[in-house]
Amino acid sequence: MLPAFFILIGTHTFGLPFWLAAILGGVATLILLGLAFKKVMVDPMIHHGVLPLVIATIGLAILMKEAVREFYGADAWPFPALWATTDVTLFGAVFAVQSLLILATCIVVVGALQLFLAGTLTGRCMQAAAQNPAVARLLGIRVERMILYTFLINAALVWIAALLVTPIYLAKFTNGEILGLYAFIAALIGGFNQVRGAIVGGLLLGVIDNFCAVYVSSSYRMAVPLLVLIAVILVRPQGLLGRVEERTV
Amino acid sequence: MAAAELLKFENVVAGYGKETILHGLSFAVPRGAMTTVIGPNGAGKSTAFKAAFGMLAVRSGRILFEDREITNRAPRELIGEGICYVPQGRNIFPELSVLHNLEFGGVAAPKGTDLKARIEAVMDRFAVLRRKARHQASTLSGGEQKILEIARGLLLQPRLMLIDEPSIGLSPLLVEELFALLRELRKGGITLLMIEQNAKRALENSDYGVVLELGRMRLQDSARAILSDPRIGQLFLGGGLSA
Repeated sequence: MLPAFFILIGTHTFGLPFWLAAILGGVATLILLGLAFKKVMVDPMIHHGVLPLVIATIGLAILMKEAVREFYGADAWPFPALWATTDVTLFGAVFAVQSLLILATCIVVVGALQLFLAGTLTGRCMQAAAQNPAVARLLGIRVERMILYTFLINAALVWIAALLVTPIYLAKFTNGEILGLYAFIAALIGGFNQVRGAIVGGLLLGVIDNFCAVYVSSSYRMAVPLLVLIAVILVRPQGLLGRVEERTV
Repeated sequence: MAAAELLKFENVVAGYGKETILHGLSFAVPRGAMTTVIGPNGAGKSTAFKAAFGMLAVRSGRILFEDREITNRAPRELIGEGICYVPQGRNIFPELSVLHNLEFGGVAAPKGTDLKARIEAVMDRFAVLRRKARHQASTLSGGEQKILEIARGLLLQPRLMLIDEPSIGLSPLLVEELFALLRELRKGGITLLMIEQNAKRALENSDYGVVLELGRMRLQDSARAILSDPRIGQLFLGGGLSA
């Protein structure tokens, strides 16, 4: 939600061309949602445990949402599409070009992320810092730096997601909340500890959601993701592609 | 001329929060030897290691390595000095491969270090690591995991290795193999400082012993002399060590 409004501020308030506003919006996202979020909120809070940090993050999300509503209003704002908004017919089915390109971008980005995490020493150091920060520190891995990289990557992904989906859903202060909830459920269904799990979960959720809306009832479509989530948790708590993690207790 | 002692604790005071565990700990670790630290629970053995490796703030006193002060320096700097620390318990990254776990041993290596060659050399030494290089580290047995941790430490060609409870959770046969490996490392010139609950077994394999009690050094002597000291049994049975 926030990167989309950064871009809109660039185009509306400063009259910048879209491409420049998009780049500057990306930089603002990296600085505010990546660097500043980590330095101002995570670093001081992390010593108090995970739960206070989660609560503080939820608080910050509410603050950001309400701030956008305060300054930009509750209306949905149109957002330029990166690609043509036409349809194509493939194997007798009609697809929106945008949807296909979003899927393709998603696969490329997740593939690149996987490649970075597994194929580079920095990526593996990030995994090590996530799996066991105490041991990572003993080996000389700069854990704080790895955490910062994680937040920067996270901010970059949020920016990409905003560029992809805002033309469809329009820029609205509630975007982060609604899409974030769907994304969270999709990640749980696919497997929280697997990057590709989120894609599988999202795809599955989207297909089931649309089939239900057409063939069952559109009134209950909001309940469908939760029903799928309950079913998956009951049968496979680690998610469809997730790995069971051992924990020392 | 290099000092006979590689590592020295001088009146070290350290602890957790308001609790003080080390009350002026002083002892020295002879260069090129294998020294075992023993003592009952709460004696401060692991705390001393953590203080030496920069994981716990030293409140007063000094720790010297090769006569240079290393008090309160960060682990990464100490690795650069040639100290490696193998903590107790499981310290691998279970979801990563054996090779990638091994590679982390060289993260703090100085620029220009040929890590590939060192990894090859370490895998030549430990055949099991080469055989299972591509396996997920969690598939290794307890003994193999400990070997992986030690091999990871060797990647930086350390001069001092701190090992905390290496035999914990290992079968007697594996413990024997582990001590043989540690003896071999000592022969190769690495100074070893080890904490071991299996005090008798460890002292039999060591050159020197240090006995800690309530955060202070109570006895330091050759391992043989400590083994035959009647007061040691008393210490482990709950009685204090009357010096």
